[in-house]
Amino acid sequence: MAITMKFTGMEEISAMLDQLGDQANFVASFALYEGAGVMADSINAAARAIVTEPFRYAGPGQTRLPSPEEKAILLENGSMGIARFDKNGSEVNTSVGYNKSGYADVSWNHMNSAARTNYKAVSFKGKENTASSTLRFIRRSGKAEQYGLSSSMGHGAQNRKPVGVIANAINSGTSFMKKQPFFRIGANNGRRKAEEVIRATVERLFNQIINNNGAGRKSA
Amino acid sequence: MPDEENTNTTQEDEEATEYQKLVNDLKALTQGETPNAHTLPMAEDEWYTRPDTVSYGIVSLDFEADALNGDNTKLSAAHEGSVDLFSMSKSGAGWVEMITDTLKNHCDASWSLNSHTYERDTGLFHWEWVFQIWG
Repeated sequence: MAITMKFTGMEEISAMLDQLGDQANFVASFALYEGAGVMADSINAAARAIVTEPFRYAGPGQTRLPSPEEKAILLENGSMGIARFDKNGSEVNTSVGYNKSGYADVSWNHMNSAARTNYKAVSFKGKENTASSTLRFIRRSGKAEQYGLSSSMGHGAQNRKPVGVIANAINSGTSFMKKQPFFRIGANNGRRKAEEVIRATVERLFNQIINNNGAGRKSA
Repeated sequence: MPDEENTNTTQEDEEATEYQKLVNDLKALTQGETPNAHTLPMAEDEWYTRPDTVSYGIVSLDFEADALNGDNTKLSAAHEGSVDLFSMSKSGAGWVEMITDTLKNHCDASWSLNSHTYERDTGLFHWEWVFQIWG
Protein backbone atom coordinates (compact mmCIF):
# COMPACT_ATOMS: atom_id res chain seq x y z
CA MET A 1 0.00 0.00 0.00
CA ALA A 2 1.17 3.48 -0.80
CA ILE A 3 -0.22 6.97 -1.01
CA THR A 4 -0.44 9.31 -3.96
CA MET A 5 -0.82 13.03 -3.39
CA LYS A 6 -0.87 15.83 -5.86
CA PHE A 7 0.14 19.24 -4.60
CA THR A 8 -1.68 22.06 -6.32
CA GLY A 9 -1.70 25.83 -5.95
CA MET A 10 2.10 26.05 -6.05
CA GLU A 11 2.25 28.39 -9.05
CA GLU A 12 5.13 30.46 -7.68
CA ILE A 13 7.18 27.28 -7.18
CA SER A 14 6.41 26.24 -10.74
CA ALA A 15 7.49 29.68 -11.98
CA MET A 16 10.81 29.34 -10.08
CA LEU A 17 11.46 25.93 -11.59
CA ASP A 18 10.75 27.28 -15.07
CA GLN A 19 13.54 29.81 -14.62
CA LEU A 20 16.07 27.14 -13.64
CA GLY A 21 16.11 25.36 -17.00
CA ASP A 22 18.19 22.17 -16.88
CA GLN A 23 18.55 22.29 -13.10
CA ALA A 24 14.79 22.31 -12.50
CA ASN A 25 14.50 18.52 -12.46
CA PHE A 26 17.25 18.19 -9.83
CA VAL A 27 15.67 20.85 -7.61
CA ALA A 28 12.19 19.32 -7.95
CA SER A 29 13.54 15.84 -7.11
CA PHE A 30 15.46 17.10 -4.08
CA ALA A 31 12.42 18.97 -2.77
CA LEU A 32 10.14 16.01 -3.38
CA TYR A 33 12.54 13.73 -1.49
CA GLU A 34 12.44 16.08 1.49
CA GLY A 35 8.63 16.18 1.33
CA ALA A 36 8.38 12.39 1.03
CA GLY A 37 10.54 12.09 4.14
CA VAL A 38 8.10 14.28 6.08
CA MET A 39 5.21 12.10 4.90
CA ALA A 40 7.02 8.91 5.91
CA ASP A 41 7.79 10.33 9.38
CA SER A 42 4.18 11.38 9.83
CA ILE A 43 2.84 7.94 8.85
CA ASN A 44 5.38 6.29 11.15
CA ALA A 45 4.22 8.53 14.01
CA ALA A 46 0.62 7.48 13.37
CA ALA A 47 1.69 3.83 13.27
CA ARG A 48 3.15 4.23 16.76
CA ALA A 49 -0.38 5.00 17.99
CA ILE A 50 -1.83 1.68 16.76
CA VAL A 51 -3.67 -0.05 19.60
CA THR A 52 -2.67 -3.69 20.11
CA GLU A 53 -3.64 -6.70 22.16
CA PRO A 54 -1.84 -10.02 22.76
CA PHE A 55 -2.25 -12.19 19.69
CA ARG A 56 -5.31 -14.43 19.57
CA TYR A 57 -7.25 -16.12 16.81
CA ALA A 58 -10.59 -14.41 16.12
CA GLY A 59 -13.39 -16.86 16.76
CA PRO A 60 -16.73 -16.96 14.95
CA GLY A 61 -18.33 -13.54 14.85
CA GLN A 62 -15.37 -11.94 16.62
CA THR A 63 -12.79 -9.40 15.65
CA ARG A 64 -9.34 -8.84 17.06
CA LEU A 65 -6.82 -6.02 17.34
CA PRO A 66 -3.33 -6.22 15.83
CA SER A 67 -0.72 -7.95 17.93
CA PRO A 68 2.34 -6.06 19.26
CA GLU A 69 4.40 -8.20 16.88
CA GLU A 70 2.48 -6.93 13.84
CA LYS A 71 2.86 -3.33 15.02
CA ALA A 72 6.59 -3.82 15.54
CA ILE A 73 6.93 -5.08 11.95
CA LEU A 74 5.48 -1.80 10.63
CA LEU A 75 7.77 0.28 12.84
CA GLU A 76 10.87 -1.72 12.04
CA ASN A 77 13.63 0.11 10.20
CA GLY A 78 13.29 -0.47 6.51
CA SER A 79 9.64 -1.50 6.56
CA MET A 80 8.48 1.72 4.98
CA GLY A 81 10.18 3.13 1.95
CA ILE A 82 10.25 5.93 -0.59
CA ALA A 83 9.95 4.56 -4.12
CA ARG A 84 12.46 5.20 -6.87
CA PHE A 85 11.72 8.54 -8.49
CA ASP A 86 9.85 8.42 -11.76
CA LYS A 87 10.91 11.35 -13.93
CA ASN A 88 8.59 11.98 -16.81
CA GLY A 89 9.45 15.17 -18.65
CA SER A 90 8.99 18.02 -16.24
CA GLU A 91 7.12 15.79 -13.77
CA VAL A 92 8.72 13.96 -10.86
CA ASN A 93 6.69 11.31 -9.03
CA THR A 94 7.30 9.02 -6.10
CA SER A 95 5.28 7.13 -3.52
CA VAL A 96 5.69 6.45 0.18
CA GLY A 97 4.49 3.20 1.65
CA TYR A 98 4.94 -0.54 2.12
CA ASN A 99 4.63 -1.64 -1.52
CA LYS A 100 8.06 -3.24 -1.77
CA SER A 101 8.76 -3.91 1.87
CA GLY A 102 9.19 -7.64 1.42
CA TYR A 103 8.26 -10.26 4.00
CA ALA A 104 8.46 -10.42 7.77
CA ASP A 105 8.61 -13.39 10.11
CA VAL A 106 5.68 -13.84 12.46
CA SER A 107 5.42 -16.41 15.23
CA TRP A 108 1.80 -17.38 14.57
CA ASN A 109 0.30 -19.24 11.66
CA HIS A 110 -3.44 -18.93 11.26
CA MET A 111 -3.41 -21.55 8.53
CA ASN A 112 -2.50 -24.14 11.17
CA SER A 113 -5.14 -23.01 13.63
CA ALA A 114 -8.30 -24.99 14.25
CA ALA A 115 -9.78 -21.76 15.59
CA ARG A 116 -9.77 -20.03 12.23
CA THR A 117 -13.24 -19.12 11.06
CA ASN A 118 -15.11 -19.88 7.88
CA TYR A 119 -12.03 -21.02 6.03
CA LYS A 120 -13.25 -21.65 2.55
CA ALA A 121 -11.38 -24.00 0.23
CA VAL A 122 -11.49 -22.34 -3.17
CA SER A 123 -10.31 -23.82 -6.43
CA PHE A 124 -6.85 -22.85 -7.55
CA LYS A 125 -6.27 -23.98 -11.09
CA GLY A 126 -8.83 -26.70 -10.59
CA LYS A 127 -7.30 -27.96 -7.34
CA GLU A 128 -8.24 -27.47 -3.76
CA ASN A 129 -6.42 -24.45 -2.43
CA THR A 130 -4.96 -25.09 0.98
CA ALA A 131 -1.85 -23.71 2.55
CA SER A 132 0.17 -26.78 1.63
CA SER A 133 -1.12 -27.06 -1.95
CA THR A 134 -0.31 -23.40 -2.56
CA LEU A 135 3.17 -23.93 -1.18
CA ARG A 136 3.64 -27.00 -3.40
CA PHE A 137 2.54 -24.99 -6.43
CA ILE A 138 5.00 -22.21 -5.59
CA ARG A 139 7.86 -24.71 -5.13
CA ARG A 140 7.12 -26.66 -8.33
CA SER A 141 6.76 -23.54 -10.42
CA GLY A 142 10.22 -22.44 -9.31
CA LYS A 143 8.83 -19.18 -7.94
CA ALA A 144 9.76 -19.75 -4.30
CA GLU A 145 12.37 -16.97 -4.22
CA GLN A 146 9.98 -14.62 -5.99
CA TYR A 147 7.50 -15.12 -3.17
CA GLY A 148 10.16 -14.59 -0.54
CA LEU A 149 10.29 -18.28 0.39
CA SER A 150 13.13 -20.73 0.42
CA SER A 151 12.39 -23.76 -1.74
CA SER A 152 13.73 -25.93 1.09
CA MET A 153 11.30 -24.48 3.62
CA GLY A 154 8.71 -26.68 5.21
CA HIS A 155 5.22 -25.75 6.29
CA GLY A 156 6.68 -23.10 8.53
CA ALA A 157 7.36 -21.03 5.43
CA GLN A 158 3.80 -19.81 5.78
CA ASN A 159 4.97 -17.83 8.81
CA ARG A 160 6.46 -15.23 6.50
CA LYS A 161 3.86 -12.56 5.83
CA PRO A 162 4.10 -9.67 3.36
CA VAL A 163 4.58 -6.40 5.25
CA GLY A 164 2.25 -4.63 2.81
CA VAL A 165 -0.56 -7.07 3.57
CA ILE A 166 -0.12 -6.59 7.33
CA ALA A 167 -0.18 -2.80 6.87
CA ASN A 168 -3.28 -2.98 4.69
CA ALA A 169 -5.08 -5.30 7.12
CA ILE A 170 -4.49 -2.88 10.00
CA ASN A 171 -5.26 0.25 7.98
CA SER A 172 -8.36 -0.97 6.13
CA GLY A 173 -9.44 -3.70 8.54
CA THR A 174 -10.59 -7.18 7.67
CA SER A 175 -13.65 -9.20 8.58
CA PHE A 176 -11.72 -10.34 11.67
CA MET A 177 -9.59 -7.29 12.48
CA LYS A 178 -10.79 -3.85 13.57
CA LYS A 179 -9.57 -1.13 11.26
CA GLN A 180 -7.17 1.54 12.48
CA PRO A 181 -6.59 3.93 9.58
CA PHE A 182 -3.10 4.99 10.68
CA PHE A 183 -1.91 5.43 7.10
CA ARG A 184 -4.65 7.89 6.17
CA ILE A 185 -4.28 9.74 9.49
CA GLY A 186 -0.51 10.03 9.03
CA ALA A 187 -0.84 11.16 5.42
CA ASN A 188 -3.47 13.72 6.35
CA ASN A 189 -1.41 15.09 9.24
CA GLY A 190 1.79 15.27 7.20
CA ARG A 191 0.35 16.77 4.05
CA ARG A 192 0.55 20.46 5.02
CA LYS A 193 4.01 20.13 6.54
CA ALA A 194 5.27 18.25 3.47
CA GLU A 195 3.94 21.01 1.24
CA GLU A 196 5.71 23.65 3.34
CA VAL A 197 8.99 21.68 3.26
CA ILE A 198 8.78 21.26 -0.53
CA ARG A 199 8.09 24.96 -0.96
CA ALA A 200 10.92 26.00 1.38
CA THR A 201 13.41 23.60 -0.23
CA VAL A 202 12.67 24.85 -3.75
CA GLU A 203 13.00 28.48 -2.62
CA ARG A 204 16.30 27.80 -0.83
CA LEU A 205 17.83 25.95 -3.78
CA PHE A 206 16.47 28.51 -6.25
CA ASN A 207 18.13 31.35 -4.35
CA GLN A 208 21.40 29.42 -4.10
CA ILE A 209 21.48 28.66 -7.82
CA ILE A 210 20.51 32.21 -8.85
CA ASN A 211 23.15 33.68 -6.51
CA ASN A 212 25.82 31.29 -7.79
CA ASN A 213 24.95 32.09 -11.40
CA GLY A 214 25.07 35.81 -10.62
CA ALA A 215 28.46 35.46 -8.93
CA GLY A 216 29.69 33.45 -11.92
CA ARG A 217 28.65 36.15 -14.35
CA LYS A 218 30.35 38.87 -12.27
CA SER A 219 33.62 36.95 -12.06
CA ALA A 220 33.49 36.27 -15.81
CA MET B 1 -51.22 23.13 8.12
CA PRO B 2 -48.63 20.33 8.45
CA ASP B 3 -49.31 17.74 11.09
CA GLU B 4 -47.08 17.53 14.14
CA GLU B 5 -45.32 14.34 13.10
CA ASN B 6 -44.18 15.72 9.76
CA THR B 7 -42.96 18.94 11.37
CA ASN B 8 -40.82 16.98 13.82
CA THR B 9 -39.33 14.89 11.05
CA THR B 10 -38.41 17.98 9.08
CA GLN B 11 -36.73 19.58 12.11
CA GLU B 12 -34.76 16.39 12.77
CA ASP B 13 -33.64 16.28 9.14
CA GLU B 14 -32.49 19.89 9.30
CA GLU B 15 -30.57 19.31 12.52
CA ALA B 16 -28.87 16.15 11.29
CA THR B 17 -25.29 16.56 10.15
CA GLU B 18 -24.28 15.54 6.66
CA TYR B 19 -22.70 12.42 8.12
CA GLN B 20 -25.90 11.44 9.92
CA LYS B 21 -27.86 11.96 6.71
CA LEU B 22 -25.42 9.71 4.87
CA VAL B 23 -25.73 7.01 7.53
CA ASN B 24 -29.52 7.30 7.51
CA ASP B 25 -29.61 6.93 3.75
CA LEU B 26 -27.30 3.94 3.82
CA LYS B 27 -29.54 2.34 6.42
CA ALA B 28 -32.67 3.16 4.44
CA LEU B 29 -31.02 1.76 1.36
CA THR B 30 -30.05 -1.49 2.95
CA GLN B 31 -32.72 -2.08 5.56
CA GLY B 32 -36.15 -1.79 4.00
CA GLU B 33 -39.44 -2.22 5.76
CA THR B 34 -39.38 -5.93 5.09
CA PRO B 35 -35.91 -7.20 5.97
CA ASN B 36 -35.02 -10.38 4.16
CA ALA B 37 -32.02 -12.46 3.29
CA HIS B 38 -30.70 -9.64 1.12
CA THR B 39 -30.68 -7.07 3.93
CA LEU B 40 -27.24 -5.59 4.42
CA PRO B 41 -26.63 -5.08 8.15
CA MET B 42 -24.87 -1.82 8.88
CA ALA B 43 -22.86 -1.24 12.03
CA GLU B 44 -22.33 2.40 12.90
CA ASP B 45 -19.06 3.30 14.64
CA GLU B 46 -18.85 -0.26 15.91
CA TRP B 47 -16.88 -3.21 14.71
CA TYR B 48 -16.90 -5.88 17.32
CA THR B 49 -19.83 -7.95 16.11
CA ARG B 50 -19.46 -9.68 12.80
CA PRO B 51 -22.90 -10.44 11.33
CA ASP B 52 -23.20 -13.96 10.04
CA THR B 53 -24.63 -13.08 6.62
CA VAL B 54 -23.63 -13.28 2.98
CA SER B 55 -22.96 -9.53 2.85
CA TYR B 56 -22.57 -6.91 5.50
CA GLY B 57 -21.40 -3.33 5.72
CA ILE B 58 -19.84 -0.94 8.19
CA VAL B 59 -19.86 2.85 8.09
CA SER B 60 -17.62 4.77 10.43
CA LEU B 61 -16.32 8.26 10.98
CA ASP B 62 -12.55 7.95 11.32
CA PHE B 63 -10.98 11.35 12.03
CA GLU B 64 -11.12 15.09 11.37
CA ALA B 65 -9.41 15.73 8.07
CA ASP B 66 -9.56 19.50 7.85
CA ALA B 67 -11.11 22.49 9.55
CA LEU B 68 -12.05 26.06 8.75
CA ASN B 69 -11.16 28.41 11.60
CA GLY B 70 -12.08 32.04 12.03
CA ASP B 71 -12.91 34.58 14.74
CA ASN B 72 -11.09 32.44 17.31
CA THR B 73 -13.42 29.54 16.75
CA LYS B 74 -13.85 26.50 14.57
CA LEU B 75 -16.38 27.43 11.91
CA SER B 76 -16.68 23.99 10.35
CA ALA B 77 -14.77 20.76 9.96
CA ALA B 78 -14.40 18.09 7.32
CA HIS B 79 -14.45 14.53 8.63
CA GLU B 80 -12.99 11.54 6.90
CA GLY B 81 -14.88 8.30 7.17
CA SER B 82 -15.18 4.99 5.44
CA VAL B 83 -17.76 2.51 4.26
CA ASP B 84 -16.77 -1.14 4.22
CA LEU B 85 -18.61 -3.87 2.40
CA PHE B 86 -17.84 -7.54 3.02
CA SER B 87 -19.48 -10.01 0.69
CA MET B 88 -19.12 -13.64 -0.30
CA SER B 89 -20.16 -12.54 -3.79
CA LYS B 90 -17.42 -11.43 -6.15
CA SER B 91 -19.70 -8.74 -7.60
CA GLY B 92 -20.84 -7.54 -4.18
CA ALA B 93 -24.39 -8.80 -4.75
CA GLY B 94 -25.52 -5.41 -6.06
CA TRP B 95 -24.45 -3.48 -2.94
CA VAL B 96 -21.45 -1.91 -4.67
CA GLU B 97 -23.59 0.10 -7.08
CA MET B 98 -26.05 1.12 -4.37
CA ILE B 99 -23.33 2.29 -1.98
CA THR B 100 -21.51 4.27 -4.67
CA ASP B 101 -24.79 5.94 -5.69
CA THR B 102 -25.42 6.97 -2.07
CA LEU B 103 -21.89 8.34 -1.75
CA LYS B 104 -22.34 10.31 -4.98
CA ASN B 105 -25.53 11.85 -3.59
CA HIS B 106 -23.99 12.92 -0.27
CA CYS B 107 -20.30 13.44 -0.89
CA ASP B 108 -20.24 14.78 -4.47
CA ALA B 109 -16.71 14.02 -5.69
CA SER B 110 -14.97 13.70 -2.32
CA TRP B 111 -14.98 9.92 -2.06
CA SER B 112 -13.01 7.08 -3.60
CA LEU B 113 -12.68 3.33 -3.56
CA ASN B 114 -9.62 3.01 -1.35
CA SER B 115 -9.11 -0.74 -1.55
CA HIS B 116 -10.66 -3.90 -2.85
CA THR B 117 -9.25 -7.09 -1.41
CA TYR B 118 -10.04 -10.77 -1.09
CA GLU B 119 -9.65 -12.63 2.19
CA ARG B 120 -8.47 -16.11 1.39
CA ASP B 121 -9.17 -17.37 4.91
CA THR B 122 -12.83 -16.38 5.02
CA GLY B 123 -13.68 -16.23 1.31
CA LEU B 124 -14.98 -12.69 1.72
CA PHE B 125 -14.45 -9.87 -0.75
CA HIS B 126 -13.82 -6.52 0.91
CA TRP B 127 -14.51 -3.09 -0.57
CA GLU B 128 -13.44 0.03 1.31
CA TRP B 129 -14.66 3.46 0.26
CA VAL B 130 -13.20 6.57 1.86
CA PHE B 131 -15.20 9.78 1.92
CA GLN B 132 -14.89 13.27 3.34
CA ILE B 133 -17.94 15.08 4.59
CA TRP B 134 -18.70 18.31 6.43
CA GLY B 135 -20.05 17.45 9.83
